[in-house]
Amino acid sequence: MGRRRRGVDRTPGAGSGALPEAIAALSRALSAGPSPETFRRAKFDRPEAAPALWQLLFRVLSPTTQAGAKASQGPEAQVRFVKAALRCQGYPRPALAQLPEDGSQGSRELLLALAWLLARGPLLEQLLARTRVRLGDEMTVCECEDVAYDGASVGLPALCVEPNLHVDIRHVQWLMGKLRLRWRNLVSSQQEQCALLSKVHLYTRGCHSERSLGHLSATETELLRDPDGSRQLLQALEQENARLEAAVQWRRRELIFWQWMDTVLDSCPTQAPGAAPQPMFLPRITDRGPRQWGLVAGELQALQEQLQAAARPRRAAWEAQVRGRSQDPAWSTTWRAVRQAVDLELVALQGAWDRSGTPAQPHGPHRLVRSESGALAGRGLWAAEAIRALRSKEACLEVALRQLQGQCRQELARLVGTLSGFIWIPPPGR
Amino acid sequence: MLPADCSRRLLAELRGALDACAERQRQLERSLRVSRRLLRAWEPVGSPTAEPTLGPDTQKEELSPGTPSPQDLKELELLTQALEKAVRVRKGISKAGAGNKAPLPKSGSIVTPATTAPLQLRAPGRAGSHASETKAPRGICQTKAPAKGHPQHKPLSSGDRTSQERASRTTGPGLGLRDQATAPPAAQPAPEAFTLKEKGRNLLQLPAAFRKAASQNSRLWAQMSSTETSDSAGATATAKAQFLQKMQVASGLCGPRLSAAEMEAEVRRLQKACWLLRLRMQEEVAAAPTDWKQELRCLLTLEGLQAMVGQCLHRLQELQAEQQLGPWPVGLPPRSLSPCGEEDPSWGPRLLLYSSTQELQTLAALRLRVAMLSQQVHLEKVLMAELLPLVSARGPQGLPGLPLCRAVHSLLCDAGERFPTILRDEPTG
Repeated sequence: MGRRRRGVDRTPGAGSGALPEAIAALSRALSAGPSPETFRRAKFDRPEAAPALWQLLFRVLSPTTQAGAKASQGPEAQVRFVKAALRCQGYPRPALAQLPEDGSQGSRELLLALAWLLARGPLLEQLLARTRVRLGDEMTVCECEDVAYDGASVGLPALCVEPNLHVDIRHVQWLMGKLRLRWRNLVSSQQEQCALLSKVHLYTRGCHSERSLGHLSATETELLRDPDGSRQLLQALEQENARLEAAVQWRRRELIFWQWMDTVLDSCPTQAPGAAPQPMFLPRITDRGPRQWGLVAGELQALQEQLQAAARPRRAAWEAQVRGRSQDPAWSTTWRAVRQAVDLELVALQGAWDRSGTPAQPHGPHRLVRSESGALAGRGLWAAEAIRALRSKEACLEVALRQLQGQCRQELARLVGTLSGFIWIPPPGR
Repeated sequence: MLPADCSRRLLAELRGALDACAERQRQLERSLRVSRRLLRAWEPVGSPTAEPTLGPDTQKEELSPGTPSPQDLKELELLTQALEKAVRVRKGISKAGAGNKAPLPKSGSIVTPATTAPLQLRAPGRAGSHASETKAPRGICQTKAPAKGHPQHKPLSSGDRTSQERASRTTGPGLGLRDQATAPPAAQPAPEAFTLKEKGRNLLQLPAAFRKAASQNSRLWAQMSSTETSDSAGATATAKAQFLQKMQVASGLCGPRLSAAEMEAEVRRLQKACWLLRLRMQEEVAAAPTDWKQELRCLLTLEGLQAMVGQCLHRLQELQAEQQLGPWPVGLPPRSLSPCGEEDPSWGPRLLLYSSTQELQTLAALRLRVAMLSQQVHLEKVLMAELLPLVSARGPQGLPGLPLCRAVHSLLCDAGERFPTILRDEPTG
């Protein structure tokens, strides 16, 4: 005991017991991470420490849904993935990209990468939250999961499209119709699920040990119905508890780790400044990101042209009008006042998108709790508020859609108007 | 027919949208299966052999052993009353011992407190509880299933229920059931299942081990968030910041690189900017200035908007240059690396409180509607980018294909719901 306590005060790297303990806690929190000995070897860039660290980084960086699939692809694929993922996150050191793909080297660099990830953000909490055991019936109100859904579908399916396939416009129409039907099915299934959940909550009132929740969730009721599942869930909970305890311990002892990492960084050979990075990237098969970029660029260009077209004649008219007036002092003060007002307005407008999103937006999944009497006021997000927020978002999106459709209508009318010999009758308006 | 690269892009986009929808549906189906099962009668666990063979047959079986004599019925009635009294007494005791969780549900399961159960339901309650002592095998096969060997009250009481329900169907067979209950377990009929609706309220209890683990879990999460916030001002945060700084300097780069997630957020921000600027422009253009001051204002606003659009374009080009160094790799949607809900510093429980089924349904429907609308807006832009150039392109006859025009109009302007009419303008005479 005494030795451990002294260890905290001793200079780091002097063989104190606190550092291995801290690293051991970190490994436990990361669930079966490498031993403190591996970390020590990594500091000296020993090759035997490399595979464990590659695997650790792979586990940490891959999203849970894909981890299993990728793990079966072999160590080279893992190495490539780790490099790409770190690149994606903005890892600054180019040395990582130059490591060989067989995963046999680079333990020190990997150690630095792990420390970098830990320093940047709440990595442990994020990992734990990702696999968090959810006991309630969860619903998200933000739209982040929509992006996740769209992202999940991006990837290999696009490979299946033959390069020289021509589709008929009718196939496109059919696909759009299919999409509409799927949404409709989704909505009706969702309504049914809500009704069922509501009943479960209603029927199990008074059963939860936590008075604040008041009733059981479907997940918990399912536990009661199915004791096998209960066993599994209990195991998962206990594992999570063990990891959480390790994480709390890690938090208490972190400082010594960071002091040690400083020494690791110092022991690295200095990089040649300005060395051009040779990033190792996978061929881009789907271009969702660049496509998004392309769309926005196109929109902005079009907008700029429209603004030019609107402003130029006005400027010309103004110049013509102003010729006689520029001598008048009262006029110039008015001009300045208008200028200032406009500037203020534009700055306020810019603030509308510069602000990093709506601050009050609640994120992440929420546990559904039925509470008629309003007894739980202040404990959580009220459905009524969420509904209000969603309605305004809905209105915004509808306006955007109408605007786009209007644009198309105008454009098509213009294009078709150049055809002679045909009468074009648009469908009756709503 | 559409050109090949256009086809490829459109198909990729639409298939992506369809797959996303299918994924949501799959997850929803999973949850629906669970919920539906919960609200049906629960089949007892641990008697798999009984279930498939003895279903509705057993009910008929019950009726066949002949109707008991009125004598037997009267006896049953007396027994019922006696047991009823016993239960009332027990209920009084159990209410006093309400703080003690473990034994409570057992007696609670026999009593149906709040519901106005018909007499016949209570009658077999006695028969059931009586039988539960005697028919040990059935009870055991259900208590064996739960994990920790803690008294699993639910299966036991479902065993009770089974005999209750069965007997409540017909008073006659109740007697026959009891006789059967004392018979060897192999001849046990499949017990009737427990329904949440009738028995759920105030009666169910999560197993103790589970409750303990759950409360420890929430305590630890609270501890995580508290240590995090208390640490933010501490030496650790400084050490981390210094480490990051050193990493940056040691790597030889001039400035911090943007992560893919940040880049995507930037692009979205610029998209929002574009939309707001366009709205403002439309307002200005639509307004009719009445005097020279308003004209000036309009002019200056438009020119100011133009400058802002220029800045946005410039920023976008910077991002493009940044991105050239490393395009987004396949199979790695930037979002998945840090999905939402993880940036929230309070890792404690987040609750969503609703007060009625109607409200919950409205919320869920709105949620889906917003998702659908954003997908629609995105697809509209994609379709515009791909299809409008085709219409303006001139075919071999100097005309774009008319069916194509018609289809494109309906897709872009009415979401495929209505079609324009094209008439050939025949010159008269």
